[in-house]
Amino acid sequence: MLTVRDLRVSVENKEIIKGLSLEIKAGEVHAIMGLNGAGKSTLANTIAGRDDYEVTAGSIEFDGKDIKDLEPHERVGEGLFLGFQYPVEIPGVSNLNFMRTALNSVRRYRGEEDMSAAEFMKLVRVKAADLKMDLDMLKRFVNVGFSGGEKKRNEMVQMAVLNPKLAVLDETDSGLDIDALKVVADGINVQRNNNTAILLITHYQRLLDYVQPDVVHVMIDGKIVKSGGKELAAELEEKGYADVA
Amino acid sequence: MPELVTTAYSEQATRLDGTLAGMDQLRGAAIGKFEKAGFPTARDENWRYSDIKRLRTQAFSAAQKTSSAEIPEAICETAARLVLVNGHFDEERSEFGDMLQAISIRPLANHLMANNDRAHELHNGTDAPSLLNTALMRDGLVFSVPAGVEIEDPIEIVHVMNGTDSTAAHVRHLIELGEGAKATILERFVGDESAYWFNSVLQARVAEGAVLNHYRLQTEGMQAIHTAKAVVSVGAGGNYNACNISLGASLSRFDAEVRLLVDGANATIDGVALAESRQSHDMLVHVDHRMPTTNSDQVFRTVADALGKSSFQGKITVAVGAQQTLADQSFKALLLARTAEANAKPELEIFADDVKCSHGATIGELDAKAMFYLMSRGIDPATARQMLVEAFTDDALARIDNDAVADAFRDRIKNWMMAHAPVQFEKDVA
Repeated sequence: MLTVRDLRVSVENKEIIKGLSLEIKAGEVHAIMGLNGAGKSTLANTIAGRDDYEVTAGSIEFDGKDIKDLEPHERVGEGLFLGFQYPVEIPGVSNLNFMRTALNSVRRYRGEEDMSAAEFMKLVRVKAADLKMDLDMLKRFVNVGFSGGEKKRNEMVQMAVLNPKLAVLDETDSGLDIDALKVVADGINVQRNNNTAILLITHYQRLLDYVQPDVVHVMIDGKIVKSGGKELAAELEEKGYADVA
Repeated sequence: MPELVTTAYSEQATRLDGTLAGMDQLRGAAIGKFEKAGFPTARDENWRYSDIKRLRTQAFSAAQKTSSAEIPEAICETAARLVLVNGHFDEERSEFGDMLQAISIRPLANHLMANNDRAHELHNGTDAPSLLNTALMRDGLVFSVPAGVEIEDPIEIVHVMNGTDSTAAHVRHLIELGEGAKATILERFVGDESAYWFNSVLQARVAEGAVLNHYRLQTEGMQAIHTAKAVVSVGAGGNYNACNISLGASLSRFDAEVRLLVDGANATIDGVALAESRQSHDMLVHVDHRMPTTNSDQVFRTVADALGKSSFQGKITVAVGAQQTLADQSFKALLLARTAEANAKPELEIFADDVKCSHGATIGELDAKAMFYLMSRGIDPATARQMLVEAFTDDALARIDNDAVADAFRDRIKNWMMAHAPVQFEKDVA
C-alpha cells in the first residue's frame, strides 16, 4: 500500500528525515514511535504533501503510484488521509460545509458524481453518532472552540466520511482523556480492514493498547532504527528509547 | 489644478441655474467653495489613499440621457425598481410596484418644485466631489416613508452608466423615514467600459425608532471613477444599517457620515471591497456620537490581489457628555499577493469618560495552515482559497437583514474569487 524508500526530507534547508524506508501492506497497522523531534510529524506531513517539506532524495509510492509530485488534495483523491496532531481552526467555515466540500472534491477527483445534500447528511449523521460527536458540532465552525478531544474526534469523523485506503494519524492520541481515547481508538478500528492500512504516529504506548499494531517502528533522528512486533512498544515503555535502540 | 478644469465646472454650474427650484444659491455657494479649494491631493488626510489625478487634470462633462442602456436583472424580490441612466431618472424603465400607495417617491426636481423652501436641507458638500455634486446635481430621487410604515422588500435604485469617456453623473438622493418606519434601500451601480465618473450623495434622515437598511452593490465598469457619500442622521432608538460591496471601478470611494443625534440612536456600517490590479477601493466612515447611549459598530473586510489596493479610514467621535456610548470598529485586510496593498487608519476622538470604544485593524495573508488543512481533506487550492476568503468576508455580511441580498453579495464574492484563482500549478499547464 505504502512504500517509502531512502527518503530524505528537509524543512527550511535543515534535514529532518535522513534516509527512511518503510513498507506497509494492505490490512496492516503500523506504529511509529519516537521522542519529540525524531521527525515523526515531518514524515506524516511529507506523506500528505505539505509544500514546505522538501523531499531531497528517495521515493514515496502509494498503491503502486509515485505520489511525490502530487498536490496534497490529489493524494487525498488517491486515498490518503492525514489526521492532524493539531487540527486547524477555521472560523467562518462550517464543519458540514467543510466535510461535504471535501467529500465531493474527492469524488470529483475520482470521476464520481457529487453526493447530494440529503445523502451526505445521512452519511455524516451515522459517522458522527459512531464517534459520539454531537450533531451541533457539525454545524459549528471547523474546530473553533472545540476541546482537544473534540478536535481529535472531529478528525476521526472526517476520516470516516472520506473512508481512505491509508490513514496516517499524527499523535491522534495526544491530549485525550481515557474516554476520548477509547472513542478515537474505536474510530480507528472501524477503519481497519483487509483493504486499508493505518500508520499511527505516537510517542506513548497508550493508544496501542486499544489499537493493536502489526508492526512497531522506532524512529530516532530521522531514521527508523528498529522494527518489531507489538511487544516492542511495551519494551519501549519499560526501558525507554535509549536502551531499546 | 488646471484652471481650465475649474472654469469648465463653473460654466456647467451656471448653465444649470434655474433648473431646480430654489437651488441656484446653493449651487453658487458650492461652486464657489470648489473654486477655492479645488480637488484634494494626497496631502489631504481623507484622500491620501485615493489617486484622483484623473479628476484633477480634466473636466468631466455632463452625461446625457439615453434609452439604450441595458438594465441589470434584480438580485432579489423588490418592492420597487427605480432606474437612473447616466444620472437621469428613467421613469419608463422603472417599476413602482404598489409603493406609491404606501410611500412617496419623487424625482428631485418635483420635490424641490413642491417644496421650494426645502433646498436648504440639501447637504452643501464638504470636499470636491460632494461640492461638485451640489453644484452640478440635476436629478435624483426623494423617498418619504410615513411614520409607522414598514416596507419589507428592498427598494432598489439602479444606477446605470452608459456613456462616453470623460462624462459624469452627479446624483442626489434624499430619504426620509418617519417615526417607527422601516425600509431597505438597495443601491446598484453598473456601467460600461468607458472612463466615466459617477458621483452621488445620498442623504438620509432616520426618525425616532425607524430602521433604514442601506445596501450597496458597486459593480461599475473597470475604467470608472465612483465617488459616493452617504450623509445620515439617526434619531432616538433609530437604526441605520449599511453594508457596502465595492467590486468595480478603477477608483472607488464610499464615504459614510453618520450622526447619532439623539439618545439611543444606533448605526452599523459594514463593507467588503475586492480589489484587483488597477483598482483602488476606499471606504471611509465617520460615526459621530453626539448624545448619550448611542451605539455604533463597523465591520470591514477587504481583499486585494496582484496590484490592487484597498483602504479603510474609520473615525469615531464621541461628543462631550455622550456618556455610555458603545462604539466598535473592526477592519481586516487580506492580501492575496505580496504586491497588493492595504491601508488602515482607525481614528478615535473621545470627549466623554464613561464610554466603551474599541477598534482593531489587521492586514494579513491567507493562513497557510488553514490552506493545507483544507487541501489535506481533498479540497483543491482554488476552492480552498475561495472558502477561506468567503469565510473572511462573511463577517461583514452577517448583519444583512435580507437573505436574498446577502446570498447575492456572497455570489459576487465567490465569482470574484473564481476569476482570481491562482495560476495553476506547472504540471497542470502542460
